[in-house]
Amino acid sequence: MDQELKLAELKARLKKVIKRSVYIYRVDCGGCNGCEIEIFAAISPVYDPERLGMKVVSSPRHADVLLYTGPMTRAMRLPAIRAYQAAPDPKIVVAYGACGCSGGIFHDCYSVWGGADSIFPIDVYIPGCPPTPAATLYGMAIALDLLQQKIKGEQFVEREVTRVVPRYKGVCPDLARDIEREARRLSGYLHGRRIAAQYLEFVREGDPLAVDRKIKELIKQEKDPRLAEIFLSLHKIYMQKVERVGRNAG
Amino acid sequence: MLKLLRKALQVGEATVEYPFKPMEVAPGFRGKPVYDFSRCIACGACATACPPNAITMDCDLERGIKSWNLNYGRCIFCGRCDEVCPTGAIALSEEFELAAARKEDLYCQAKIQLCKCISCGEYFAPCRELEYVLASLEQAGLSESGHEGWKQLLKVCPECRRRKAAVSAAGALGGTGRVPGGRQ
Repeated sequence: MDQELKLAELKARLKKVIKRSVYIYRVDCGGCNGCEIEIFAAISPVYDPERLGMKVVSSPRHADVLLYTGPMTRAMRLPAIRAYQAAPDPKIVVAYGACGCSGGIFHDCYSVWGGADSIFPIDVYIPGCPPTPAATLYGMAIALDLLQQKIKGEQFVEREVTRVVPRYKGVCPDLARDIEREARRLSGYLHGRRIAAQYLEFVREGDPLAVDRKIKELIKQEKDPRLAEIFLSLHKIYMQKVERVGRNAG
Repeated sequence: MLKLLRKALQVGEATVEYPFKPMEVAPGFRGKPVYDFSRCIACGACATACPPNAITMDCDLERGIKSWNLNYGRCIFCGRCDEVCPTGAIALSEEFELAAARKEDLYCQAKIQLCKCISCGEYFAPCRELEYVLASLEQAGLSESGHEGWKQLLKVCPECRRRKAAVSAAGALGGTGRVPGGRQ
């Protein structure tokens, strides 16, 4: 316990001292190499971490920071421990990527122990699959106490029952679903949702004739022929639905 | 030397000033999934879709609480939760600065109340989900008169509903104690 306190104190002193020359050693414990590629992108001149003094070294004996990437696999457990023991105290241990933080998508594989935190005390977690170079720089800045942490654990509790209303008010859910499905089929979930929302905004007003006129105007004005095509096919669905309802009523 | 300097000045700076200036990300960047508690109906679609099980759901039938957990440390930012969410409660943002010193800061948790069955008194489904179903039915053109009936029906668990349906069917068939087609 006494030794631990001493180590923590040493680590705090280290953070003050090494601001301008941080030697980083990477340990890949069995990842997919996505993280390595991002680390190499991060040490390129575009992000240039050497202006902050960060340098990737090839021996753990030189390292101040150990960067563990990949899930902790059974085969790489011992080399990972050896690298940890080879690095001089005090050292900063960083878990890099979703796999390094908690095992990531491989967390329930037969040979995976979990993240790097299953073996070592971790100072900083850098989530991401893989973390972008900017996220890498941010994580290193957190490890060296240059920047403030932004993310916080969140907890929500429902005290009394609250209502959640459907997203498109005044639109039949069946129609909304069909429109959304078609829009997503044609243009992916991200743009599909936006396009469906734009279309259903017109439908909300109700009167089919007015909707028809407005949509036709929109299609005429649309400069992007792909978008016009999508709107047209959405409109077809709407018109079919309206016709069917009309026939049933008649 | 001067030639080189001139060239360097012509080309300009390639390095981004990221830690000292905010970073602009590309449109459609898949960053931190942000959870909107007020829109969640605890249907579990995101937990089913999540490939690395970063989103998990637990049901505590003793206390009547369904809990929703998101672990950013395990999330692979694929956006499937965003894609499948029927109410738009979870959406990817452009935030990428997720590094944390403590593991607890990587968790997002929500607790949602379950509804009690009015027939057997067991917890069975989130209240919010039932309310959402009712609101959807209203929008689809449920009449005022049918409203109350549906409200009562939604508060009965599937098990009890099945039993009731069986009892009423048996009653309709054998009201006089005879089975049609049977011997008299």
